[in-house]
Amino acid sequence: MSEHLKNHRPKNLNLFTIRLPINALVSILHRVSGMALFAMLPFLLLLMHSSLSSEDGFNLAINVLDFWLVKLVLIGLAWAFFHHFYAGLRHLAQDLHWMHGLNQARYSSKIIMGLVAVSVIYFAILIW
Amino acid sequence: MLFELLTKRYPGMRVWLLQRVTAVYMAVYVPFVMGYLLINKPHSYVAWVELNSACWLKVLSSLFFLSLCLHAWVGVRDVFRDYVPNTMLRHGLQLIVEIGLIACLIWSVYIFCCF
Repeated sequence: MSEHLKNHRPKNLNLFTIRLPINALVSILHRVSGMALFAMLPFLLLLMHSSLSSEDGFNLAINVLDFWLVKLVLIGLAWAFFHHFYAGLRHLAQDLHWMHGLNQARYSSKIIMGLVAVSVIYFAILIW
Repeated sequence: MLFELLTKRYPGMRVWLLQRVTAVYMAVYVPFVMGYLLINKPHSYVAWVELNSACWLKVLSSLFFLSLCLHAWVGVRDVFRDYVPNTMLRHGLQLIVEIGLIACLIWSVYIFCCF
């Protein structure tokens, strides 16, 4: 590479100035939600273990889930689940060459975002 | 065509397919169990234990966690390959994740089959 190019290559490492198209946003959020679900796995197993181990453990799990801060975390987890679920189904559909044109991908992205919002709000109302 | 892609010449394809097969199993299991829980709401500890003691559900739940761990293994591996360029660091992180996932898998089977 010549010196000229080296010195004048445009660099933009500030992620906040990059505007992602909606299909790219759904795709990156699929990764983010996947990592979040992976990170929460031990805590969910701990709850499951506690709730099945004894009656005291069962009541403890219920009391923990009733705490408002835990409910907020659960809503975040519900977002991660619903996004990963719907966007995952979308990716599976695209693997089968269904809905994989650019306009269709944009359209299905919007549907996914809408479905996730409705599901998370419904979940939040259900647990609160 | 499909079988040729699954031979040793294309090792990545098997992992790719593994991620999809486990995804499909989980996409069927989760709505099914959610619906089952909503219909048979367990209101007490005894009802909760009884609900989970059904043999068919134990098998399905254990298979779910096996799928989850395999799926997460592929997913985290892909994320590390994209964002952790340092080979030593990536292998180290990957090893920690693998040990963690194996521990979670053993733990989940213990929860579903030993209580």
